Amino acid sequence: MKESEKKEKQAFLIKFPKSSSVSAFRAFCSKILKKNRCAFLDAEYAPVKFKCRREKCNHLKLGKYLAKIKAGPLREYMIFKCSCDKICLSLPIMQGSSVYGYVLFTHLDKEPGKAIVDSVRICMDLALREFQKEQELTKLYETIRPRAIALSTIHTIHRLLSSTLNMDELIERIARLTLQVMRSRHCSIMLLDESKRYLVPKAVIDLDKEIPKTGLQYKKIKLGAKLEGGVAKTYKTVFSHNSICVPLVEEDVIGVISARDKTNGAPFDKFELEILITLAEQAVIAIKNAQMYEEQEKMAYGSIKTLAALLDSKSPNTFTHSDQFVKIVLAISEEMKLPREDIVNLHYSALLPDTGKFSIPEEIFKKPGCLSSKEYAIIKKQHIESLKIIEHMGFLKHAMPIIKHHHERYDGAGYPDGLKGAEIPVGARIMAVANAFEAMVSARPYKGKKISVSQAIKEIKKNKGSQFDPEAVDAFIEVTKKPKFKNMLGVSA
Amino acid sequence: MKNIKHLFKKGLSGKILLFFNENPNCIDTAKGISLWIGGDINNTQKVLNQLVKEGIIVCHRTASTNAYAYTNNKEIIKKIEKYLKNM
Repeated sequence: MKESEKKEKQAFLIKFPKSSSVSAFRAFCSKILKKNRCAFLDAEYAPVKFKCRREKCNHLKLGKYLAKIKAGPLREYMIFKCSCDKICLSLPIMQGSSVYGYVLFTHLDKEPGKAIVDSVRICMDLALREFQKEQELTKLYETIRPRAIALSTIHTIHRLLSSTLNMDELIERIARLTLQVMRSRHCSIMLLDESKRYLVPKAVIDLDKEIPKTGLQYKKIKLGAKLEGGVAKTYKTVFSHNSICVPLVEEDVIGVISARDKTNGAPFDKFELEILITLAEQAVIAIKNAQMYEEQEKMAYGSIKTLAALLDSKSPNTFTHSDQFVKIVLAISEEMKLPREDIVNLHYSALLPDTGKFSIPEEIFKKPGCLSSKEYAIIKKQHIESLKIIEHMGFLKHAMPIIKHHHERYDGAGYPDGLKGAEIPVGARIMAVANAFEAMVSARPYKGKKISVSQAIKEIKKNKGSQFDPEAVDAFIEVTKKPKFKNMLGVSA
Repeated sequence: MKNIKHLFKKGLSGKILLFFNENPNCIDTAKGISLWIGGDINNTQKVLNQLVKEGIIVCHRTASTNAYAYTNNKEIIKKIEKYLKNM
C-alpha cells in the first residue's frame, strides 16, 4: 500500500468512528446485536481506538488473531471466536473496492443470523454515506469559507479605498489596510516620480517603531536599485518568507507596495501573496482615480484663474480679491471643520467672489456712501444676470450658490434673495465675514478710509448675529488668534 | 483590556474573537461579520464597538463605511491564543 493511501485511510479511520453517523450506527447495533462491544480496526487489523479492561481478552491480540485467520483484506463479514472464546463479528469498512478497515463486534451473546448481519451491513453503508456527505461538507466549509471571507475583505477594502480622492489620505489608507490584511509589522508604498527614474516613499508604517510614521522621511530609491527598485524595473513580484513586494502596474509601473515581517513571526504564504496582488490592483485604480481628480482640480483652478484674469482686465481688483482673502476664507472653513468637498467649492468661490458684479454699472459699485433704492435694485438684478457667465462651468455648480449669496446678511437684510440664518449656504456666510474684513482693512479707492486690523475685528464682532453668522465669526476670531494669521495678512496686526 | 475569559463568557464577543483569531486577515463591515458568526447585526455592531474600545479590534472609518479588523498588537493576540489553547 502506498504511503499516501495509507495516510488517507488512517485519517479516515480516525474521523469515521467519531462522526455523528457512527453514533447512530452504534445505537442501532447495540439494539440488534444486544450485549456487544464495538471496535474499529485498520486495514492491517490494528485497533484504531479500543480499550477493554473488564475482559481478559486483549483486542490488540484479537487483531493479530484475525490476521492469522486470513492474510490480506477481508471483503466479506466474518463470524469467529476470539482467544477468550467469545463470539465476534467483523465487517469490512469499504469505499468502492478499497478496504479502509474493519468494524468489530465482540462479546456477542450468540451468533448473529444472516438477516441481522445484513441489517448491520446496510446500516453501516448508510453511516458511511452519511459520513462521506459530512466530509464533503466539511471540505467545502474549509475551502470555500476562507475564500468567501477573503472576497468579502477585498470588497470591503475596495469600498474603503474608493471613498476618498485625496491622494495623501488614500496612500496612508492603503498602507494601513495592507498592514492589517497582511498581518505584517511593516508596510511601504513608493510611487515613481515625474522623471520615472526614482521611487519616492509616500507612506511608510513600521509598527515596531515607537511612533508609527507615515511620510517622506525615507530616502527615494533609484529605479533598479534595492528590492523595491528592482520590482519596479522588472514588473515582477518578489516573494520571500518574511517579505512581499508587488509592483503597482496600470499600463506602466507607477510604484511598488511592500509588506514585511508578520506579526506572529510566521512566513508569508501563497494565499497572502494572492491577497497583496489583488490589493495592489485595487490600489492602482484608486491611485489613478485620485491622480485624475488632482489633475481635474488643477484644470479647474486654472480655468477659474484664467476667467478671473479676464474679468480683472476689464476692471482690476473688482471681480477678484487678494490672496489674503482666499487664505482667510480657507482658514475659517478649516476652523469650522467643513468637509473637504465643501472647502474645495469654497476655494473656487473665493477665487471668483464678485463675478456677480460683472454687468453692474461701474459708477454704482464704485459709488462711495449709501446706494439709492433704485441703484440697489439694479445691483440685485445684475448680480444674478452676471452669474450666468459661470453657470456653464460644471465644476462651479456647487460654488455658484456661495458666490450668489455671499452678500446676504445673517439677519435677512442682504441681497439678492434676502435669505437669513441657515438658509444662506455656510460657504457664503464664511465669505461674508472674510469679505467684510478685507474691505475694512484694504485701501480700495471706492471703500473710503481703511481701518486697522484690530478695529476691523472689533467691527466684525459687533455685527455677530446680525450681519454675520455667529459660528463663522467665532471661527474667524479663532483664526485671528493664530500666529499664521499675521502671515496671511503680510502685515503686523 | 478586560479579562479575556470575561470576554469569551459573553457569547457574541467570544464568537467575534474566535472568528478573528481564525481569520486574522479579515477586514469587514459589522454586517459582514454578523453574517460570518451568525449573529444579529445590531448586537454585533455594539460588541464590535466595545472591542474597538478594548483595543482588540481596529476600526477603519470612512464617511460611508466602518470596517473592522483584528488588532496587530502582539501581546493581545498572544493572550487570546493562549486562552483558546487552554479552552
